[in-house]
Amino acid sequence: MEPRWKGKGSEAKALADPMSKLVAQLQSSLIQTNMCGLLSGCSVLVAVETEHVDLFSRSCFGRPIVTAEKDKHWFQLGMEEAFYLCHFLKCLKIVGEDNCPKDDGELWHYMKSRKATFPAFYKAYSHLRKKNWVVRSGLQYGVDFIDYRHHPSLVHSEYAVLVLLEGDDDTNGRLRL
Amino acid sequence: METDDWESCPSDMSDNESCLQDKDASELDNYTSASQHKLQFRSDVSVARWINKMGMAEVMEKKGRLWTTTGIVRSGKTYCFIEETLFLAEIGALHLLDDNDTRLSLRDIYKKVAEEKSGCCWERFEVYRHLKSLGYIIRWHSVPWSIKTPKGDNLNNETVYVQSTPEGNGVMGIDSKDKSFNVELFSSMQINEVRPVFDVFLPNSKFKKSSPGDPSFVLCLTSGYPQSKAEVEIIERRCGSIPLKFCHVEHGRVSFFSIDRVELPVLP
Repeated sequence: MEPRWKGKGSEAKALADPMSKLVAQLQSSLIQTNMCGLLSGCSVLVAVETEHVDLFSRSCFGRPIVTAEKDKHWFQLGMEEAFYLCHFLKCLKIVGEDNCPKDDGELWHYMKSRKATFPAFYKAYSHLRKKNWVVRSGLQYGVDFIDYRHHPSLVHSEYAVLVLLEGDDDTNGRLRL
Repeated sequence: METDDWESCPSDMSDNESCLQDKDASELDNYTSASQHKLQFRSDVSVARWINKMGMAEVMEKKGRLWTTTGIVRSGKTYCFIEETLFLAEIGALHLLDDNDTRLSLRDIYKKVAEEKSGCCWERFEVYRHLKSLGYIIRWHSVPWSIKTPKGDNLNNETVYVQSTPEGNGVMGIDSKDKSFNVELFSSMQINEVRPVFDVFLPNSKFKKSSPGDPSFVLCLTSGYPQSKAEVEIIERRCGSIPLKFCHVEHGRVSFFSIDRVELPVLP
């Protein structure tokens, strides 16, 4: 099935700025600014300067938090995307409320304690992201992730992703396909 | 297909802290520039001081009508939970000070939520923020809106505190007369997976903390998996005639559902 682009010019925009380039831009910008995220519950909060807000939106990481702060723009990252930025792209430090950066092992352990399926979900997320697909939450559609070829405002999603572990039994209550 | 995940508030809302409109960023944002969502400008900002040993903020200066539906009153003073405090700080309606009267930044307040003391967590805050932005009035489950101390009583008899239970759930205790109330709270903490967190009242411009009436529903925060029938029934019994709803937070989205009993009619 052909990708369904939204409106004229979307495909051209996508070709002009492939997702790999957008993610690389985000990565280098975060490294330069020594970006640090605050771990809170199942989210990581980052404060972004105005000139960097676009990088997050265009590469589809995080969701903006609306606040009254003028000079800082807060974004909220899910566990998979935060771990991807931290561990794979190595462009984000993540700290707890004690301000101490968490190493990958600590983070992994923490995230797994919050969500038992985190390891499998991260595997799926990172596998698809590495191929430069855009991966977003599939909660609205009753699935785990939704995959886009590029920014969701440019193209309709092409895949719904369900993460299933081999030998998964019914203890987590998921509907078996 | 892509729908808003926040609804705009009804136009007859007189309480001015609501009316946030947020669309799902990934679907509807302009690709070329992130849309900047605007909050209404506030010139009158309330002030509160964080009281560490209470785990709450004491309101020092009240501005606006929002205080008719926010915070609990104890002996004439108003206190806010961290979620209420953060919500108001996020929308620019509150300045929070520390012991030295230094203004705390939004980051400082986010850090307090990250500490996850007294049952607070980011997800619970997201639920609070979502409902509050829609205009609902929120009470911490079973925590009275206001308690007066009769004149002449030693104020030390009435200690307001937020403590952690072994399960890590927050409990708002009133360390005085209302012992039965304490017992109710602690026993409800035995259900580990699911616990009532909020009593939710419908938007009401005439709301009075002194006579709030019954909440519209009691809200439980789920851990992600469906509740067993037994768990649901236990909580339902506790809530009496008040309907029960559940909510689930994931990736910044808050979903609500209820588990209802139906009797399907015999069809012709």
